[in-house]
Amino acid sequence: MSSPLTLAPAPPSEAAEEVRAQVRQFLAEELAAGTFTTHVDTWLSGVDPAFSRKLGERGWLGMTWPREYGGHERSAMERYAVTEELLAAGAPVAAHWIADRQSGPNLLRYGTEAQRREILPRIAAGECFFVIGMSEPDSGSDLASIRTKAVRDAGGDWVVTGAKVWTSNAHLSHYGIVLVRTSAADPADRHAGLSQLLVDLSLPGITINPIRILDGGHHFNEVVFDEVVVPGDMLLGEEGAGWHQVTAELAFERSGPERFLSTYPLLAEFARRACDTGDAAQLGALGRLSARLLALRQLSLRIAAALDRGELPDIPAALVKDVGTTFEADVVDEIRRVVEVVPSLDSPDPLGRALAEAQLHAPGYTLRGGTNEILRGIVARGLGLR
Amino acid sequence: MASEQDLVVGTVRDILAGHEPFVLTADTAWDAGLWADLAGAGLTGVGLPEEAGGSGGELADAVAVVRTLAAGAGAVPVAEQLLAAGPALLAADLDLPDPTAPLTLAVAGAVTAEPSDDGDGPGRWTLTGTATDVAWAGVARHVAVLAGAPAGIEGAVLALVDAEGLATSDARNLAGEPRGSLVLGGAPASGALLTPAGAGQVRARYALARAVQMAAALEQVLAWTVQYAGERHQFGRPLGRFQAVQVQLAQMAGEVTAVTALVDAAVQTLARDEDVVLAAAAAKVRAGAAVEVVARLAHQVHGAIGFTQEHRLHHLTRRLWSWREEAGSELTWSRVLGVGLLAQGGDGLWPALTRVV
Repeated sequence: MSSPLTLAPAPPSEAAEEVRAQVRQFLAEELAAGTFTTHVDTWLSGVDPAFSRKLGERGWLGMTWPREYGGHERSAMERYAVTEELLAAGAPVAAHWIADRQSGPNLLRYGTEAQRREILPRIAAGECFFVIGMSEPDSGSDLASIRTKAVRDAGGDWVVTGAKVWTSNAHLSHYGIVLVRTSAADPADRHAGLSQLLVDLSLPGITINPIRILDGGHHFNEVVFDEVVVPGDMLLGEEGAGWHQVTAELAFERSGPERFLSTYPLLAEFARRACDTGDAAQLGALGRLSARLLALRQLSLRIAAALDRGELPDIPAALVKDVGTTFEADVVDEIRRVVEVVPSLDSPDPLGRALAEAQLHAPGYTLRGGTNEILRGIVARGLGLR
Repeated sequence: MASEQDLVVGTVRDILAGHEPFVLTADTAWDAGLWADLAGAGLTGVGLPEEAGGSGGELADAVAVVRTLAAGAGAVPVAEQLLAAGPALLAADLDLPDPTAPLTLAVAGAVTAEPSDDGDGPGRWTLTGTATDVAWAGVARHVAVLAGAPAGIEGAVLALVDAEGLATSDARNLAGEPRGSLVLGGAPASGALLTPAGAGQVRARYALARAVQMAAALEQVLAWTVQYAGERHQFGRPLGRFQAVQVQLAQMAGEVTAVTALVDAAVQTLARDEDVVLAAAAAKVRAGAAVEVVARLAHQVHGAIGFTQEHRLHHLTRRLWSWREEAGSELTWSRVLGVGLLAQGGDGLWPALTRVV
């Protein structure tokens, strides 16, 4: 099959295996020292700025960026190994996750020299956290319909009014990259007139209201902008090129191992159970789930290799996220079918706790970062159907 | 696939073009004409070393031949010969029979091997029992039989049996491919004792061969379905313009792409001469899981015409429904993978996963 969905296999990377071993050792020490405990879906819910700083000190943030901006000039394959190890251990990585994954690369690609010098080294140090300002109360999958607007004032600054939602950990973050309408909506070109602004979340006029998810956790927020004055030089990239820039950002957002490892700590707990019982049905289920996970790893590695080649594989990224997030949710149900276990956050059984966490977070897997319906539309376009 | 294999792929495609797939029956159990053309072009020895009588080339070349034939529903025992039985015989230091005569593999736990003293020197064994579900039984001229070792000895015996004159039952899989039994009545054969690990590698290679075939067939089914959705009009537009159909095709593409990535990685593991048991298990299980989704949706999109023998779709979907349970069932390989990943204990899943491929 030759189509935009086909990617070359990832070449083996010794450097990636080296850094993988270092991260694994570090995580074992941290777990033994009790600095963190394993949880499900920690790239959303595991906020620990001190842990993020430790990763920064070890050179595990901003890994692929140029040294002059605080980066480490390592390959996407090496970064893949680091992120994968952190997720598999259920480590608290949420504080820096968005900044390291997509805001930093976005700044590197579109930011001004001043923006890069000011912000990228702080992200790489694990000291500066970002939120994604895309969705709005009335704009979810239909992102082009956003209404938050930014108007130039006489002094050249932007005056921003509107609201963004599902902004993960906005209450703990420093900046947002906010998609705004900078000229009136054009029915003939729905993607025109959008721009990205780099917004300091401490500016006057910004209100951050918590939105609690099913387990009561406070990760999401509504960020309200009431005539917030954003300095004119905080435009990110080109005025009017917001849609194009967002699309590029999503290739980073959609292809990483967090799109199939959110429930991995549950699978690891299940493996312990299957090992204890030796139950044939459990061992078979472990095999089936592992085969799916191994395929996803190969897909995601291929995308990391494509990023290393300088490509922007947005369509394969959509495909990986569709297949990967479906898997994350299926882990819950496949395990339930073969183990007697009651899901409860208060369970004395670690498997019961992990199952509860994974279940209560499950609706999010196939929604965040683009719903699977939207993703399948993108894949269909890759197949030449649209 | 890498461009180095383009030539061999092109040659196989040219030959396939002269041999449309047909419905296999007891009387036309395989495509002898296709085999003759492939053998004439040296393609039934690809990847097997020239000094052993093969045509030379790499594993990647053999995989390319098998993939192309699988996508074209070629009814010939090439996967068995190039990826399973041939390499197994060579790994056991046994002679490779003439590759222009079809060779297959029988994983035959119910057949037992005893050392023979028929005067033909060491390495002679007497095989007794019935090998069941043998791919291309009645078609293959030679069979590499993986039989049980004599009582008290660990491992298995791999022996090369001349199939001529063996009693064969006429059983076929869902696609009509011969899968009968062979009755081994004690004729001496050359063979070698394999360790349990060695026998495991033989089984794993066979499973990976089927996974390679499944990956190619799944890709072809997707391509046919995308093509059909573009050609078939209903309500005044192609099926592929309907969002409901687009979603189905996107799901199929996700499954197919996942299978290809894992099967390719497992083949790479084999090419590096690493232990291939867990990689093959994972590839086989993943491919089998994809069959469920891809075959179902392909038939759904093709509608009633795809449910007939007139249409080509069944040549691959019927094979896929069988292949997923052959060379070790999906259930068997799922358990092998589950057990294998826990070899270092219940806390060792992640390190084990990152070592498989």
